[in-house]
Amino acid sequence: MAVLCRLPVSLSDQDCYTFGMEDSNRQGVTIGEEERRDFLKLLGITGSIGAASQFSLSDVRNALGSGTSSELAAMGEAIRSDLTGAVDADVLASSMSGVATAVDSLPAVRSAGFPAEDATPYQELTAPAWEAYRHLSDIGFFASAEEHLPAYTSEGLATTTQELVRAEPLTSTLTDAGFSEEEITATVASVTSQQELLKHWVPASDLPTDVSEFDPANVGPLHQRAAGGALLWIDGLDDHLWRNKVLITDEIHDRGIEHTKTMLGGLHLMTAAAHDIAGPGEFEDAHLAAGLAGGAAIMIAGQENMAADVYRITDDMRADGGL
Amino acid sequence: MTDLSNDKAVQAVKNTKVQKKDEFFVVDSPLNEPVTETHAADMIPEKNVTQEMLTGSGSNADAWLMYGGGYKQQRHTTADVITPENVGDLSLDWLFQTGTGSGELEGSPVIVPGDPPVMYQTNGPNHVKALNARNGDVFWSYTYSNPNNIRPCCGLNNRGVAVYQDKVYMTTLDANLVALDRYTGEQQWQYNSAEPSEGYANTEAPVVYNDMVIMGSGGGEFGVRGYVDAVDPESGEQMWRRWTVPEDQWIGESWQNGCSTVWMTPSIDTDSDTIYAPTGNPGPDVWAGVRPGLNPYSNGTLALDANSGEPQWHYNESPHDWWDYDSPSPPVLFDAEVNGEERRLTMSAGKVGWVFTMDAGNGQLVERSEPFAQMLNTFDLPPAELEDSPWIMPSADGGSEWNPASYDPNSQTVFVKAMNYPSKFQWDREEYETGRLYLGGGFTIAPEMDDVEYPPEEEWNRNLGVITALDPISGEVKWQDWYDEFTMGGSMTTATGLVFAGNGSGEFIAYDVESGERLWQFNLGASINASPVSWYDPGTEKQYVAIQAGGGGLRSHKTGDAVAVFSMEA
Repeated sequence: MAVLCRLPVSLSDQDCYTFGMEDSNRQGVTIGEEERRDFLKLLGITGSIGAASQFSLSDVRNALGSGTSSELAAMGEAIRSDLTGAVDADVLASSMSGVATAVDSLPAVRSAGFPAEDATPYQELTAPAWEAYRHLSDIGFFASAEEHLPAYTSEGLATTTQELVRAEPLTSTLTDAGFSEEEITATVASVTSQQELLKHWVPASDLPTDVSEFDPANVGPLHQRAAGGALLWIDGLDDHLWRNKVLITDEIHDRGIEHTKTMLGGLHLMTAAAHDIAGPGEFEDAHLAAGLAGGAAIMIAGQENMAADVYRITDDMRADGGL
Repeated sequence: MTDLSNDKAVQAVKNTKVQKKDEFFVVDSPLNEPVTETHAADMIPEKNVTQEMLTGSGSNADAWLMYGGGYKQQRHTTADVITPENVGDLSLDWLFQTGTGSGELEGSPVIVPGDPPVMYQTNGPNHVKALNARNGDVFWSYTYSNPNNIRPCCGLNNRGVAVYQDKVYMTTLDANLVALDRYTGEQQWQYNSAEPSEGYANTEAPVVYNDMVIMGSGGGEFGVRGYVDAVDPESGEQMWRRWTVPEDQWIGESWQNGCSTVWMTPSIDTDSDTIYAPTGNPGPDVWAGVRPGLNPYSNGTLALDANSGEPQWHYNESPHDWWDYDSPSPPVLFDAEVNGEERRLTMSAGKVGWVFTMDAGNGQLVERSEPFAQMLNTFDLPPAELEDSPWIMPSADGGSEWNPASYDPNSQTVFVKAMNYPSKFQWDREEYETGRLYLGGGFTIAPEMDDVEYPPEEEWNRNLGVITALDPISGEVKWQDWYDEFTMGGSMTTATGLVFAGNGSGEFIAYDVESGERLWQFNLGASINASPVSWYDPGTEKQYVAIQAGGGGLRSHKTGDAVAVFSMEA
């Protein structure tokens, strides 16, 4: 068993998602009571929706009702307008297929144990995702997303998450990527665990200008940082796990897999939403915006969790004994 | 002692007005060009320093030819006159006052053997003297002409020179490298490595290897892009540059402000032709949200091919750092048995508070030590507001700051001097004021805060500094000696089982390497923020130990201007 905790990390924290490694290529997910409460609070749902063990996105969706955010709809429409004709559906479809394959292979990657020196099993997982990232960068997708989408204030995050819950056609695409219903729920809810940290991640346009320490023009758009950063953390596992073998426990290793899957899920949501711009037009504009903003939030939360649970290894977390 | 009252180079430093304005140093220098004053230059033996001498420096009892003693930077002398049994009789041989004013003494002198041996001693801002190492007589002195509005973040120090053939090399506060004639002190050439207006600066001692002067830069608080340069020692031309922020592993254009500067002296494995560069914080210091990912090659050890500068491997001690946990302390190379196999290893004692022992060939971690200073809420992320921050240790000062560690190969013990107090951190989108340092957030340290509730004493013992002896293979702490005051600078070991170190209270101490017992000490009356060196002089049949006492730099309890040399007859 492994746990995915809120920060600050405490291994004994009872407020943790609990994952159980299964024989199949999926991992069971349950949500702790506090996360369930936080998630519902963020969404503005005051009624009781089952116990954590039976908590599902469809229950939450039903509780939210059928409304939609006109604000997000306008944002989605603006992004669709900016990018119509620029998105290459084939590139993104291929990328999503590759991400699904990567998710499918995660148990095997974990079972293989520590990567060998200079081996790249984790970088191989992200190769298709980088294709989508590069394409979206090239067409100005991230700049458009940052221009139109809300910042991760408490209000912005609540609106985004509400709409992401309602965007059933979008979130259900995660099923194609190998996520169970419980995992989809946990993935969407993961943004709840990092609400404070998400505030660290501000749009580049909100950075102070004329700063001597860095040029804000060099800072990538928020959603580019979310996607690119997530992939960098996954890629880094090849080197990190091998180089720090002496410090890595099974639990740390498991968490690396779990956060990888969460971030790939976030990327899949973002890519699916972008793909819709290229033609299918299956998603409402508000759902499109929520998919982009929510997918990025999931990837940011995943990065923060990955850093805390896998890369920054305190003495309490580390394995005993040297090589 | 030489009369320095009319020494133009000394007077130039004394007449330089330095004003700290916010995070800048406004320098009003009387110099438009460098100045050299000659006293007794003809006394310097004209025997060039060869590569063979540099390669053998670490094992040559008569010499200390580079910052860390030898390329491995063990700061270990093979001179064996001073022992645990007789160190109680160690006495002051000569004490020299730099004459340049108080403070800015963080350096490590270089000793070129001869008759007499010559000491090349530096202090800030960019002042060098060639001294008779037997008595402190000045052969020549030199002061570099720094421009105004330079931006070294943490003081105007200089930590030492490199020597090769007939030249002395010093980095400058405006991020240049100068070559001086070692016999006359006259400047030969200047290499402009980077623009100080962009935030670049330099205080490190360069190192010469295989006809290259190796240097990095400071500037990690000003959004620069770090690098390592190799410079032709004869002409001053750049031979290669290796940027320490790889573009393809940063998002957007953030690599351009990624810092990761090499602001302390690299170590070199002469067997494998590998440079081990200590790297600093990513930029901006405490707002990682604008630079996602692991932020290579920050906060650790970067191994480079010495011939090309090509990266070999990198170890990051604080990935995606929020706490300014640089790893500037020079890596220490050593050989040791690990699980029955003799291996070449490198270790790093950075601000994050552990010693990382790695395979020198590939950088795989062999062991991470027990903490060498207290830890508290380590890696807790900064909240938006300072008042919401927990106390966090190590503080933003470390851990081990730039303090060079020393190693005793006989007892397999590394000695680390470290700071020991908590910080509070915050991130926020503070309003930026033109010309001010911008860290993206902020931090403070407990000793600078009044009317706050400190952590309980079981979490922070109230000592501001500590020296720790530990086994880099097992990672176990052998002993510690806690200090009342800020503690910067390094230590030095002897072949006979001693380790010398100073502290912020001005105590210069000789410890027994195994037990940590204080066997001898001498109070120099000013903070010892520098690192000791030692040599044996066949001409006098004495072993000498030199240390600078004058404080300076980031944290300094009491300033002064002394270079103290102790000796013992064989």
